[in-house]
Amino acid sequence: MPLSKIDEAGLASSAQFTGFKNRIINGAMMIDQRNAGASISDITGVGAYPVDRFNFRVPAAIGGTFSVQRVADAPAGFVYSAKLTVTAAATVGSTNRSGIAQGIEGLNLADLAYGTASASSVTLSFWVKSSIAGTYCCALRNDTITGIATISYVANYTVSQANTWEYKTITIPGYTAGTISTDNSLGLGVCWDIGSGTSYDTTPNVWSASDKMGTAGAVSIIETTGATFQITGVQLEKGNTATSFDYRPYGTELALCQRYYYRVAAQIAGDYTIATSALAISTTQAFVMTNFPVQMRTRPTALEQNGTASDYVVVRAGSATFNACSSVPTFSQAGLMSAMSIFTVASGLTNGSAGYVYGNTTAAYLGWSAEL
Amino acid sequence: MIYKMLPLIEGQQQIYARIDDDGLCRLTCEADYPEFKAWLEEGNTPEPADTPE
Repeated sequence: MPLSKIDEAGLASSAQFTGFKNRIINGAMMIDQRNAGASISDITGVGAYPVDRFNFRVPAAIGGTFSVQRVADAPAGFVYSAKLTVTAAATVGSTNRSGIAQGIEGLNLADLAYGTASASSVTLSFWVKSSIAGTYCCALRNDTITGIATISYVANYTVSQANTWEYKTITIPGYTAGTISTDNSLGLGVCWDIGSGTSYDTTPNVWSASDKMGTAGAVSIIETTGATFQITGVQLEKGNTATSFDYRPYGTELALCQRYYYRVAAQIAGDYTIATSALAISTTQAFVMTNFPVQMRTRPTALEQNGTASDYVVVRAGSATFNACSSVPTFSQAGLMSAMSIFTVASGLTNGSAGYVYGNTTAAYLGWSAEL
Repeated sequence: MIYKMLPLIEGQQQIYARIDDDGLCRLTCEADYPEFKAWLEEGNTPEPADTPE
């Protein structure tokens, strides 16, 4: 067929031929580096990530108890969803905010041209399943949940039937009156209100130069014991139309997540994967270098590990002596592409000698965050 | 949850250990760690480092 016969207009408008249209990362909830599907019970304070990039967060002051988890319950075309279960109801005050959010890096939003007359509309689509039917809210803001947004757009959506997967789409006009970050900081946060106070209520479907999350009368799911709320298939795309979900290869989606959080975990006891090499700086301590698989969004400033020193082992090169750590691995420094940690043992190292480290149990891991 | 200073290693920056309510340390950080800074802004102070034996 001559090339002149290709319908370019058709290619451009057909969802099947457009990739990387989804500004949401891990919208199908496939990646869960932190928990591998395990439940988390503490979502207060800085919140929790039941799957990569989706933060579930409530303030401690509202009380209640919750669990969040990636579960194998999803509408056709998806495998997983992220689920909130209210095990004991909270009491939301007027100035409290609770939600589920993903922060989108400004670098991935620059083409929306916010703050100009040609600011682009975006369309949010997602699947939701809730144990309580009613009107709910989601918001596009230049913050996530706990920060103070200076622009907000809140929209309502309706859960028509309890405990049933429903597909929702919301088109949000471009914001012409002000700019958003277009660098590696947070550009916009997509937020689902799960229980926020009246101080954050606003008129739906209009941009507001203020810090808003909800609308009056919306369901506050966290105030009902036993309630559940699940989302998956989340997509935010440029334009006025929700198109088919942008399925990306698993490895690609994982790499996208690793820009914001990277965890290297022992797969089997004695696995060598948690770090590559070590350099002893004394008889008891060794520097350990870990290379990140992708460039992080920003330089991590902390190291996470499982809290049990003996789960980590240092081996001196040329020695058959396996030294279990006497204290947990600690942060030393990090850049965009690698991090240095310090492993400590009671004795047995030689200053200046090389070695390696590994997880002594499958519980061992090292993790670094550059989340928004 | 509290933060505690770790003994300073020569030539290295000060590192802080977050001690969770169960007594375990699952995170260590530098002074620029956002959650540590937020904890300080709430009026908290990290505990001093243990004295080397």
